[in-house]
Amino acid sequence: MQLIVDSLPLLWRGLIVTFQLASLTLLLTAFISLFFGIMSVSRYRILRLISLVFVEVFRDIPIVVNILFVYFGAPLIGLSLDPFSAALVSLTTWGSANGSEIIRGGFNAIPKHQRESALALGLRPWETLFMVLVPQIILPIIPSFTGLFSLLIQATSLATLVGASEFLRTSKIIVERTTMMTGESPAFAVYGFVLCVYFVICFSLNMLTAWMERRIVAARTVHHHAMAESEPMVEPIPAVEKP
Amino acid sequence: MNYNFSFPYIWGAAPDLLSGLWMTILVSLISIAFSVIIGIVCASVRVFRVPVLSQLATAYVHFIRSTPLLVQLFFIFYGLASLGLGLDGFWSGVLALSLWGGAYNTENVRGGLAAVDKGMREAAFSLGLRPIHYLRYVALPIGLRVAIPALLNTAVSVLKNSSYLQAIGVAELTFVAMNRVALDFRTLEMFFSIGLIYLALVLVLSATVRCLETVLHAPFRTA
Repeated sequence: MQLIVDSLPLLWRGLIVTFQLASLTLLLTAFISLFFGIMSVSRYRILRLISLVFVEVFRDIPIVVNILFVYFGAPLIGLSLDPFSAALVSLTTWGSANGSEIIRGGFNAIPKHQRESALALGLRPWETLFMVLVPQIILPIIPSFTGLFSLLIQATSLATLVGASEFLRTSKIIVERTTMMTGESPAFAVYGFVLCVYFVICFSLNMLTAWMERRIVAARTVHHHAMAESEPMVEPIPAVEKP
Repeated sequence: MNYNFSFPYIWGAAPDLLSGLWMTILVSLISIAFSVIIGIVCASVRVFRVPVLSQLATAYVHFIRSTPLLVQLFFIFYGLASLGLGLDGFWSGVLALSLWGGAYNTENVRGGLAAVDKGMREAAFSLGLRPIHYLRYVALPIGLRVAIPALLNTAVSVLKNSSYLQAIGVAELTFVAMNRVALDFRTLEMFFSIGLIYLALVLVLSATVRCLETVLHAPFRTA
């Protein structure tokens, strides 16, 4: 216990790195997944295919393999990535694959007539996309992206494998150092503490996600009653697949 | 940048890769079996609202879903060993993956059981079936049928996540490949092969899930 209290400053620094990594990844992920998400609902088959291949490859190859490949494979193209950047690149590809599925779900949930009406009113395709469709998906996909953020925070622990000094790695160093100095391994207490910290952060995020989802569903139901129309219920946006 | 991609090298590494693949499949199969059992037990406990146990099951599901698998793995492998309850890498991995998959399967099976019509339960109880018999003869046969696609999706995730075990030195596919990379620096060849193997495994399994979905859904179709 004393050990954990003594190492709090170090662990705190690790936690900051974890947050930096997760937030940067989320930021990049948002843009890239919008890009691939739009491609996946494009009317050109080749764009849909590219998006499909991207999503399938980065979702189906285990993220452990992905992160190791980026870190050890980057020097082969003459780039030497430090662990943090390697983790950033790898988590971003994984996150964007999941993110573009969310965006695709968002687009599919918009009633078809929105697009048709916009085009009929004479809006250009890009105007239809950015002024009619994109504004409508933003609110419904926010909970999914909060959920994705929780998964990204969890996934940053994998940066330990390539040696980025984030939360799990700092605690690993503490465990190893203490074991070496005292001959007794504090692994149970330290990793237990780490589990609890991750739990508090990600559980709050998950609860927030669930709360927002309920709010949005409730808002929609009221809307539907008010309209009293035979509009089919909007499809729920599929949840992100776990890492 | 000259890098000679060498297919013969992959051919030479094939025996190693196959033994790694075998380990991956072995670990995954054992973990999937345990995770389904955990899922059925916890979901049943939650559906019948068994006091205390039901809350414990809920807490377990939330805890596993809100913590990274890698930390869970370290906790089990290093943490339990420091208490003197040491498990070797293989069984630590099986334990971690089973608990992880079990949490997701709890939700999957619960979803399936929730799809069982309420009238079935009332009918079963009024015929004098005990809860356990209702579960065995009525709820699970119907509910699991609904839950199978979700269970298989979790099984695919367990298979993918077996690659985490390379962190604690279990000689599965990723570990074997990393080992060879460290020896021969044939990075591209190795990652190309294991990427392809994982991709093939996952795509084949997902295609199976989609086929099964239509087959299993047949009795519920109304048209």
